[in-house]
Amino acid sequence: MGSVHPLVALLWLAPALLLILGVVLYPAIKLFDASRSEFSITGLRRGDAGWENYAKVLDHPSLGTVLVNTLIWVVAVVAVTIVLGLALAQFLVKQFPGRRYVRWAVIVPWAASLIITSQLFVLLYDYNYGIVNHLLLGAGVIDAPIDFLGDDSWTMFSMVVVGVFVSLPFTIFVFIAGLNAIPDDVLEAATVDGARPRQRYRSIVLPLLRPALMIATVLNVIYVFNSFPIIYTLNDRNPGYLHDTTITFMYKLAFKSQEKDVGMSAAAGIFNVLLILAVVLIYLKIINWREETSR
Amino acid sequence: MRSMKTSGMIAGMAVAAIVLAACGGGTGAGNAGDGGTQGGAGGEAKTIKLVAAEYSKDNTKAFWDAFAKTYKDKTGYTLEVQIISWDNLDQQSSTMIQNNQAPDILNLNAYASYAKDGLLYNSDEVLPASVKSDILPTFVKYGTYDGKFYGFPDLSSARAFFYNTDLFKEAGVASPPKTWAELEDAARKISALGDGNVGYALPLGPEEAQGEFSMWLFNNGGTWKDQGKWTINSAQNVETLTFLKKLTDEKLTQNNPARTNRADAFDLFKSGKAGMIIGFSPLAAALDEDGKVKYAVAPFPTNDGSESKTFGVTDYLMAFKKPGNSNQAAVKAFYELYYQKDQINTWIKSEGFLPVTQSGIEEFRGDEKLKVYLDTLPNAQLTPTDDPTWDRVKLAVQQNLGRALTGDPKAVLDELQQTAESAS
Repeated sequence: MGSVHPLVALLWLAPALLLILGVVLYPAIKLFDASRSEFSITGLRRGDAGWENYAKVLDHPSLGTVLVNTLIWVVAVVAVTIVLGLALAQFLVKQFPGRRYVRWAVIVPWAASLIITSQLFVLLYDYNYGIVNHLLLGAGVIDAPIDFLGDDSWTMFSMVVVGVFVSLPFTIFVFIAGLNAIPDDVLEAATVDGARPRQRYRSIVLPLLRPALMIATVLNVIYVFNSFPIIYTLNDRNPGYLHDTTITFMYKLAFKSQEKDVGMSAAAGIFNVLLILAVVLIYLKIINWREETSR
Repeated sequence: MRSMKTSGMIAGMAVAAIVLAACGGGTGAGNAGDGGTQGGAGGEAKTIKLVAAEYSKDNTKAFWDAFAKTYKDKTGYTLEVQIISWDNLDQQSSTMIQNNQAPDILNLNAYASYAKDGLLYNSDEVLPASVKSDILPTFVKYGTYDGKFYGFPDLSSARAFFYNTDLFKEAGVASPPKTWAELEDAARKISALGDGNVGYALPLGPEEAQGEFSMWLFNNGGTWKDQGKWTINSAQNVETLTFLKKLTDEKLTQNNPARTNRADAFDLFKSGKAGMIIGFSPLAAALDEDGKVKYAVAPFPTNDGSESKTFGVTDYLMAFKKPGNSNQAAVKAFYELYYQKDQINTWIKSEGFLPVTQSGIEEFRGDEKLKVYLDTLPNAQLTPTDDPTWDRVKLAVQQNLGRALTGDPKAVLDELQQTAESAS
């Protein structure tokens, strides 16, 4: 085994490096460039803006609302998805007739485009002819239709339901893989030693599921945080930023709001990247810390 | 040694493949027409690019493709056509300009900001004089920024009052209202029918709040801007918005009008559950196709019963300057062909909109269904599209006007007035 010449190694790595440079680094540099430039409403670059775009984003009167919305959105969707996903995965690893078809059915929301799913929910939620209101009225649960998307106290809830719906398939399959990886003999040994089902679940299944839990949480946090179509579609009737997260806030800054400022939007984009990086790092740090102390 | 060479070669080929793929793929819109749009060094552009809005799936592409062919045959220039849906048009045009890849001709619903940024040709440079004199004076007026005509209209629409004749009959309303008091009365009777029927469908959601409100305020003698001054919070406009709030409070409109977009209001009218709405010719076309709802069209009622005014809308075909004005001749040839009667009027007819030229009005005159719009078109009032500030104010109105229905109309209009004044 002779060692590989460094130049050859570089050549072999080049395709991947080029991809990273072109798809990740170059856009990131352009984004940073844009965030430091002053743009006209037409998109024409007028000159350098220094850090002014960043200051304008931090000064924005709706920033607080948007950050709180983002927190609620991410925490609610991810938490509910993880809990429901665990339960459903537990069910789907059991042997039962037709299991294969149920598993297929679970993938469907994942396969459909987010825009289509969101539009579908807009129709389901509709005040005048939505099926959800129709059913609730018919069952006598409510007396008057609920304005799921236009009533401020319902909008976030309605969006979270859709967020959970589209996040479940991926999460369930991560958990199914995790559950299948738990060796049967460990569980058998626990049963022989007299562990009751709840004990077995808490002391054996959950700890062994930790890698799957961690992956599901980190990836879901990133996906849900970056999710644009659901909020944009379900919230499009609502003026202002009442139910926007940082992602749709960024889009509206560039194209829909009275600011209509690409530079400001780019600065908000930089903040978004930093925010999600920080959240993930903190999460991983906590996980590590727990692992060390539990030893 | 040999194997090292081979592996090096394979790696090299892989690099080449990636690079090729990256060049070939492009990233969507902005890149599609890089090739031909720039003329040779110092030469004249033989190929120009048009970015057009998609008015309808069926007709827009068909028209522009046929147009490009005729253009090539008649002038020898090539026209590259890119059609973009209205949802994405703002975003894509902004990206194009950001990347210094503006098309030669752009079809959009605003132009003044582009003129202000010095990006556009004016009519003296690219529009044949005969065309300019044929365009309706109203549209020339609103297409003129800083004394020069930049916003060449491609088509227009005028709003009118639509009412559901079945619901009117059922509620015992004999004729369409002439005043706002009559409108309120009719709305009350229709809402009283129950069964989900609403008197007036009022869309003040972000999609088109400025359009709905324009129609109302013009018919109360109000304006957005008058004699160079913003008049958003004038007494008439506060009265108008207060009236809309009253309709909402007394439940004479559909649920939550502040959060209803125009498309949803149209759907409600198409389902036969709304008594009255502000519509335009494409809505009429959709209703006729469904054949489900019996409706009639009338002038919009005014607050005091005086003569009705209509709110007109036009979109623009604006021409971008290129270094050395290399595209000027080709762009001029484009407009010369576009404004020929058999081109522009065929296009407008197929999309179901209204003409922008005197000759167009003559040609459309024969169509009974369009009479109510055509009569009002030459005197239509537009939003102040000739002021670049409006491009910002419009967005502020879309995002904020609805708040008045749950808050204080005067405070909301005061705030918008301030936005307009500070942005000017």
